[in-house]
Amino acid sequence: MPVEKVIFYCFAALMLFAAFMVITSRHPVRAVLFLVLSFISASALWLLLEAEFLAIILVLVYVGAVMVLFLFVVMMLNMNTAPLKEGFSRYLPLGILIGVLFAGQVIWLLLDNQALLPEWRSLQRHAADYNNTEILGRALYSDYLYPFEIAGVILLVAIVAAIALTFRGTKSSRKQNISEQVKVTKADRLRIIKD
Amino acid sequence: MTTLYALSLITVAAPLLASLVTGLFGKSIGTVVSHRIAVTGVGLAFFLSVVLLGIVLQQQISMHEISLYAWAVSGITFEVGFLIDPLTVLMMVVVTFVSLMVHIYTIGYMHDDPGYTRFFSYISLFTFAMLMLVMANNFLQLFFGWEAVGVVSYLLIGFWFKRETAIFANLKAFLVNRVGDLGFLLGIALVFMLFDTLNYQEVFAKLSTTDLKLTVSLWPGMDVSAITLMCILLFVGAMGKSAQIPLHVWLPDSMEGPTPISALIHAATMVTAGVFMVARLSPLFELSDVARSFVVIIGALTALMMGLVGIVQNDIKRVIAYSTLSQLGYMVVAVGVSAYSVGMFHLMTHAFFKALLFLAAGSVIMALHHQQDLRHMGGLKAYLPITCVTAWIGALALCGIPPFSGFYSKDILIEAVHFAAIPGAGFAYYALLAGVFVTALYTFRLIFLTFHGKARWSHQKGHAVHEPGWVVTLPLILLAIPSAVIAWFTVEPMLFAANGYFKQSITIDTAHDVIGQIAYHYPGAFGFALHAVVTKPFWLAVAGIATAYLCYVRFPKVPARLAREFSVVQRVLVNKYGFDEFYQWFFAKGTRNLSLWFWSVVDIRIIDKSLVGGVVHAWGASARLLRHLQSGYLNHYAFAMILGLLGLLSFWLWG
Amino acid sequence: MLTAIDFLIVSSLLFSLGVVGIIINRKNVIVLLMCIELILLAVNTNFITFARFLGDTGGEIFVFFILTVAAAEAAIGLAILVVLYRARNSINVQDLNLLQG
Repeated sequence: MPVEKVIFYCFAALMLFAAFMVITSRHPVRAVLFLVLSFISASALWLLLEAEFLAIILVLVYVGAVMVLFLFVVMMLNMNTAPLKEGFSRYLPLGILIGVLFAGQVIWLLLDNQALLPEWRSLQRHAADYNNTEILGRALYSDYLYPFEIAGVILLVAIVAAIALTFRGTKSSRKQNISEQVKVTKADRLRIIKD
Repeated sequence: MTTLYALSLITVAAPLLASLVTGLFGKSIGTVVSHRIAVTGVGLAFFLSVVLLGIVLQQQISMHEISLYAWAVSGITFEVGFLIDPLTVLMMVVVTFVSLMVHIYTIGYMHDDPGYTRFFSYISLFTFAMLMLVMANNFLQLFFGWEAVGVVSYLLIGFWFKRETAIFANLKAFLVNRVGDLGFLLGIALVFMLFDTLNYQEVFAKLSTTDLKLTVSLWPGMDVSAITLMCILLFVGAMGKSAQIPLHVWLPDSMEGPTPISALIHAATMVTAGVFMVARLSPLFELSDVARSFVVIIGALTALMMGLVGIVQNDIKRVIAYSTLSQLGYMVVAVGVSAYSVGMFHLMTHAFFKALLFLAAGSVIMALHHQQDLRHMGGLKAYLPITCVTAWIGALALCGIPPFSGFYSKDILIEAVHFAAIPGAGFAYYALLAGVFVTALYTFRLIFLTFHGKARWSHQKGHAVHEPGWVVTLPLILLAIPSAVIAWFTVEPMLFAANGYFKQSITIDTAHDVIGQIAYHYPGAFGFALHAVVTKPFWLAVAGIATAYLCYVRFPKVPARLAREFSVVQRVLVNKYGFDEFYQWFFAKGTRNLSLWFWSVVDIRIIDKSLVGGVVHAWGASARLLRHLQSGYLNHYAFAMILGLLGLLSFWLWG
Repeated sequence: MLTAIDFLIVSSLLFSLGVVGIIINRKNVIVLLMCIELILLAVNTNFITFARFLGDTGGEIFVFFILTVAAAEAAIGLAILVVLYRARNSINVQDLNLLQG
């Protein structure tokens, strides 16, 4: 068995196992950590596909930033996990049914049409001087320049949105709350004390 | 001819003005001023009508047309105008004279009624409407007058609007007249369709150039002659207004109104509008034998059948009402056999003696404090001498006893029918002959039961039975005079003179000119009266009177025994052949039930519940189902997306 | 040698796991978000596989953009989650039925 196949099966199995743990683990922190594992396994698979740049990006940006963000939020919210798992077993059969239907159909489709695409059958390795990053860079800054800029804008919007959503305003604000002032009653302002 | 213009305009305007003043300001100007204004208005109209008659006679005017103004011009001109000719002025004189008498009479009859001024307003308005009808120079104005008299009739039948029977009767009159008026309107529409104009003279002028074989397709494969259809439709209008079988049912019930209007509207003038209309449109009716046969048969049926019903009625006014129906049948037969002038002649004499009889009946009713039942009268001749004498004159005229006016009109009428050759005339002749006997029987039954025999009413203390005041007796006397003698002077010029009175107004095809045949051996008024003793109608009338005398004076027990012996006949007559019950059952109840069915089944169940409500319920039900999809839970939506994805995948894979 | 089918099967299984995760985790919004990340990962793997086997860089470029959008989505989603938690003191999906109106 070629070493690539061994690597492929190892990481594929690891990724699926990690994904399985993500959806079944009781605690969100464990789920996030398993998610990280599955991402890292996936980046190994991507390396096998010689998409080195994206594999690195996945680990650096996704695992390094987004997953940490997840972890951060999960820990910050400190939720009570027990009720969040309710109904888990109730929906399990349905989930399995739909999952099997999904995967089964796709796999059946793939195996059925395998013969139609002979050139897909084997992975030909790139030449030694193949530079994935350079090719992607050339494409991004030429053919995909506008989408690339739009992607930048989307990230900016996301930053602004995230800040705008979570920003609570300064504590020292002396703003009037007019509706509260209007709704005020005698009891709010005056307390009669009998001796 | 500005004189004619002014005269005719004032004739029409005077009653209208009087009506408006009394109607709008009656409360403030008081009863006395009100009736003075009304009587003056109608008196003026009568006076001017007589003047117009004089002018027409003197200057031999034929068909003078006066156009007041055109109120709409759009391809066709709609105008208000008058047609002054012998026929019109004759009707005007009759209408205004009877109306004047009734106005005067009303002063006494309605004396204590709270609606005194309203009544005067109505009858003046009626006079105006009737004048508009008879003076019209086009079909549309005829229709206007036709409807206007109908409205006033409706108002007056329901004059005592607190009586339930009066409201029922006026609604019945209105609805039955609608049936006739629909036919009338269709007839007018057909006239317009064929001739493109509504003006009488233009229509008559176009008759000679119109293709008489024109047909109208009622439904595919059913083509009928346009002229015949037109005449029959117009006559349907006449059947409604002149109360011919089967549209006669409203007239007896209309007796719920005050007696003066029974005399004016439901005996002398309005109900004869149908006869007048047919005479006015004689050029049209002359063109269709079928239509005239129809007219004859309807008229003959009415004349005989309604007379028979009159025998068994106990309400004094209803007896006269059935008599009116019967006499209208006579007139209709007359115009049906092309004896238009005889029909008009009988219309005129009938207007006098029937108004007289009604007013006499009203006098009796007043004297007996609104007792109308013949069974509670009797022996009144000593208490009401003038009423009794005038009623006798009216009755004799109605029965056609020479030399009273009714004799001439009725005898010549029957003679004309005898000579007529159109289909149905033979039947009509015998029906009318039998009618003569019946007429005499019920008329003198009424006279004998009212004025003769034993008194069957009870004296009330402090309410002596006596003649009402002069305002009541004067009209009786004034009406009794023409009832007795008018025919002596008029029969020859109106019917038989070489250059006859109606020569210009009425067109008769020489092929069936029955009057001409009678005129051929007419011996003159006096000779004709003498000749009566050898004619059938005279002896039938005498027999009728004798029978009435025997049954109701000499042997008062006979009628009851006869009624027992022939209980089937009696029942049929008392039920008036079941017309009322049938209409009530078929039209009133049937319409009601049909409407209920449409309401409960079609409207509520099909339209409301199934269609309108069904749509609502369908939406509601589907929304109730679909709202479960709209749970608001995020995972449900996610699940829906997943299902959609799965479905899409399966579709591409297997589809 | 490895074939495209191998990668495609693995990514479809990963996709299915994500879907199943959405179905069985009906309560926890964070886990839902993670499942979406899994699904996106499967999709990205698919893209890269096709790009590689068809020799078209466009697929990899697409993955690049997907990563961008997914990062933005994760950031905003988590921000919403934080605001939500502040407002209702819960991230239980069953409590988030205001869409029902």
